[in-house]
Amino acid sequence: MAETKDIPKHDVIMVGAGPAALAAAIYTTREDIDTLLFERAVPGGLAAVTDWVDNYPGFAKGLAGLDLATALQQQAERFGAVIELGEVLKIHDEGEWKRLETTSGDMLARAVLIATGSDYKKIGVPGEQEYYARGVHYCATCDGAFYRDKRLVVVGGGNSAVQESIFLTRYASHIDLLVRSTVKASDVLQHDLQKYVDEGKITVHLGTTTDEILGEDNKVVKVVGTTTETGRKIIFETDGVFVFVGLKPNSEFLEGSGIELDHIHLVKSDENLQTSMPGVFVAGDIRSGATMQIASASGEGATAALKIREYLEGREHPVQN
Amino acid sequence: MVKNITIFTTNTCAYCAMVKKYLDVKNHKYEVVNLDEQPERQAEALALSGALTVPVTVVTKHDDSREVVVGYNLAKLAPALV
Repeated sequence: MAETKDIPKHDVIMVGAGPAALAAAIYTTREDIDTLLFERAVPGGLAAVTDWVDNYPGFAKGLAGLDLATALQQQAERFGAVIELGEVLKIHDEGEWKRLETTSGDMLARAVLIATGSDYKKIGVPGEQEYYARGVHYCATCDGAFYRDKRLVVVGGGNSAVQESIFLTRYASHIDLLVRSTVKASDVLQHDLQKYVDEGKITVHLGTTTDEILGEDNKVVKVVGTTTETGRKIIFETDGVFVFVGLKPNSEFLEGSGIELDHIHLVKSDENLQTSMPGVFVAGDIRSGATMQIASASGEGATAALKIREYLEGREHPVQN
Repeated sequence: MVKNITIFTTNTCAYCAMVKKYLDVKNHKYEVVNLDEQPERQAEALALSGALTVPVTVVTKHDDSREVVVGYNLAKLAPALV
């Protein structure tokens, strides 16, 4: 291990660069708190790959998720936030300093914000892994264009499944939406969905499990489902499958760190958004109790930044690199 | 040495924007094939990558050998640009 004096030091390192971290970075960097963000995929997180955001305050007509993510990033960078493309692998508590093992080597921070968010879950059925990116997808805005005038199956019944199904109608000739129980999307989205159902673009199959994805000649051709009420098998002819069945927290890197997680691996925090490791804060979808909304993630990011400032002010002088 | 770079993208692809930004930062010029505007080139993207996804970045070297990078994958893209 390198001597501590040789390790790069920052006032704050933020793990992730989604709406929570970017909002937090706007606040910290605007107050000249030296801030580095680590992002392993795309700044803006899941918001960046969401087709349309209709409920972010201040945008009367809504806006594209990518546009919102880009604006948040540009605003944070305008104040001096630095986004490093890489991954934080471990966090160690060394008292005043937190040591982060990263893909760019070790780094030290006086305070850390965990804002790693979530990724879409897999369903875990035969064929899902085999046809990944060749007929099975988790990002409609990335891969939808390959299904112009094709039939699709979308799996899920929450906000993402409904919203991305509606997005995919711009390409697909027809969508079968397979919902294990009932549609749990917001009333507004359900209202929008009904328009596409009435037009015959989307057929909703309630109480239908997704059991297997079948292919021929290296292409997806069918999905096998079961009607839960009768146990009857149903075959859906399709050219592709998009899966939106909920979120998986990105907290694997915290296993063994001593930072307390809840029963579904979200990060626990106190009223100051501080985790069980002093100086390590949490905001956004990864926080236990989060509401999984972009607006609330941004708000939590701002709150976390102010709490981090209070924490740093109770400590010694800021970093002098 | 890189001779030319082509990126297959769509209008809504966030990871495509990241690839373009990375290439901009590294001062590489590239041609963009937008599959929303040129759907007839989807088969070409699929043949090159074996995947129904974007971004697909094709790096052609001076000896005409090609590296195809699927997705926003810096672990593959960065060495392909050397």
